[in-house]
Amino acid sequence: MIEVKNLSKTFTSHVKEPGLKGSIKSLFSRELVTKDALKPVNLNIEQGEIVGLIGANGAGKTTLIKILAGIVHPTAGEAKILGYTPWERANEYRRQMALIMGQKNQVWWDLPALDSFILLKEIYQIPDAQYKYNIEFLAEILMVKDQLKTQVRKLSLGERMKIELMAALLHNPKVIFLDEPTIGLDISAQKAVRGFLRQYQKEFKPMTILTSHYMEDIKELCPRIVIIKSGEFVYDGSLSDVQKMMGDEKVLSVTTQNGVFKVSVPRQDLAKKTHELFEEHYVLDLNIQDPSIEDVIESIMKNGIGAT
Amino acid sequence: MKWWKDVMGMELRKILAYRSDFWITFLGQTFIQLMVARALWQAIFETQGVSEMQGFTLEMMGLYYLIAPIGMKILNGPNFGFLAQEIYDGTFTRYLLYPLSVFQYKTLTYLTYSLFYSLQMIILLGIYRLFISEVAFTSVDVGHLFLGLLLFIIGAIAYCMMGMMIEMIALWADNIWSLAVMLRFFTSFFGGALIPITFLPVWAQNILVWTPFPYLLSLPIRTIMGLSTFQEVTQGALILMLWTLIFMEGVKLVWKKGQFKYTGVGI
Repeated sequence: MIEVKNLSKTFTSHVKEPGLKGSIKSLFSRELVTKDALKPVNLNIEQGEIVGLIGANGAGKTTLIKILAGIVHPTAGEAKILGYTPWERANEYRRQMALIMGQKNQVWWDLPALDSFILLKEIYQIPDAQYKYNIEFLAEILMVKDQLKTQVRKLSLGERMKIELMAALLHNPKVIFLDEPTIGLDISAQKAVRGFLRQYQKEFKPMTILTSHYMEDIKELCPRIVIIKSGEFVYDGSLSDVQKMMGDEKVLSVTTQNGVFKVSVPRQDLAKKTHELFEEHYVLDLNIQDPSIEDVIESIMKNGIGAT
Repeated sequence: MKWWKDVMGMELRKILAYRSDFWITFLGQTFIQLMVARALWQAIFETQGVSEMQGFTLEMMGLYYLIAPIGMKILNGPNFGFLAQEIYDGTFTRYLLYPLSVFQYKTLTYLTYSLFYSLQMIILLGIYRLFISEVAFTSVDVGHLFLGLLLFIIGAIAYCMMGMMIEMIALWADNIWSLAVMLRFFTSFFGGALIPITFLPVWAQNILVWTPFPYLLSLPIRTIMGLSTFQEVTQGALILMLWTLIFMEGVKLVWKKGQFKYTGVGI
């Protein structure tokens, strides 16, 4: 189980004025700024659960994942995962955890994937039978059997991501942190990765936290979502409930000569607003829809929960 | 314990991954440095009109400048910046995720390079003796060779610890390239890679015995050349081990404070 209580992180960094003058000035005097990357947050995740962590860039998603993976220390608060405090980095915890980063390689760039896997087998003390089964199973469903003996740096982005997934999951972790696993991938590679993650989750039932900017990832994989805004959790609940939060609203998608815009309107004002739009604009097309999950989440991320 | 073997195997495979780079590093670089140094010293010997300087004949000087650059490579392991660069670009994160000690892992990778360059030293000394200068090997024997290489390996562990301690300053300062370069320069100069330390003033030599530098390079080179006594070798090995322990404590202390500063950039 993942239990997080009042976990927070503050970063300090220096700011520099632009230009040469700023560079010279910063050699002698620097202005330090502190940023609350994570304000006190609480979270509980059960075994087998997969939670989507959603937020704009810089909202604090990756900071939370780095803390829970034991890479960085929090400023305050507590976290227990499988009974361990992540940043104490007990080997027993690390043997049961995996972090997969879409933007960072963990396998060795200059060697074929199989060379990396052999080392990981020893590092994680994976029994022979489990290792052989996992290589077969993972290579099969990720469709990378033919790429295992090729130098990793010569693989395509999608193939590399699949190799990263294999490397991270060889030891059957009970806790998985997936940080934008489909970033930069083409649509078919995204689908393949999502399909794989769904199947893996079904077979091994790990606790998983997934961050992604692609709503398709979230919609397909995460029954529960946490929305994070400026370091704070603004929503923690089921994905389906998010849509219900705007159940009383309709979205008007209006096409005019100047382009398309959307307006959210309470259901009871629909006729009045439509009439106004036709009076104010030369309307070429008009669609009345239920708000999509993307619309709701975007609204929450921009305006907070009260605005929806 | 098998992971130790696999980490070392992995590093070896990385060394062998690029063929042309391997051969240039293995043969070309060392012999070019040797030729330049030999030409310079030949000119000095001729100008001075002497056949021996500070106990070195020209032939011995040639051998010295074959051993010194490879010895420097043994000490340097995977090269300077081996830890600082990874802290700077966030690659260091990888080792924090593995269920093992990051410092054991890094020391092992370091030692793999040192052992590989030791093998290179044996092969190049063989080539040098067979095809270039047999005279230089008058006082060299297999016993001295292995004793010298053992000193180099002990020195590499000490230097690895010193490097880790200094490179972890990157946890605070991000980029410490200049510090790493300075360390390498001090080691080359005060260790005797640029010129044998017997050419330095006596007062400087007297100060240097209190530092690890002469034991890192000068002593193992002289041992391989058969110019050191057994007492000097054992004394030097003990001093290096003592420095290793001091640097290991330094590494622990710096990491204890510095781990709070690591932000895992680039993720």
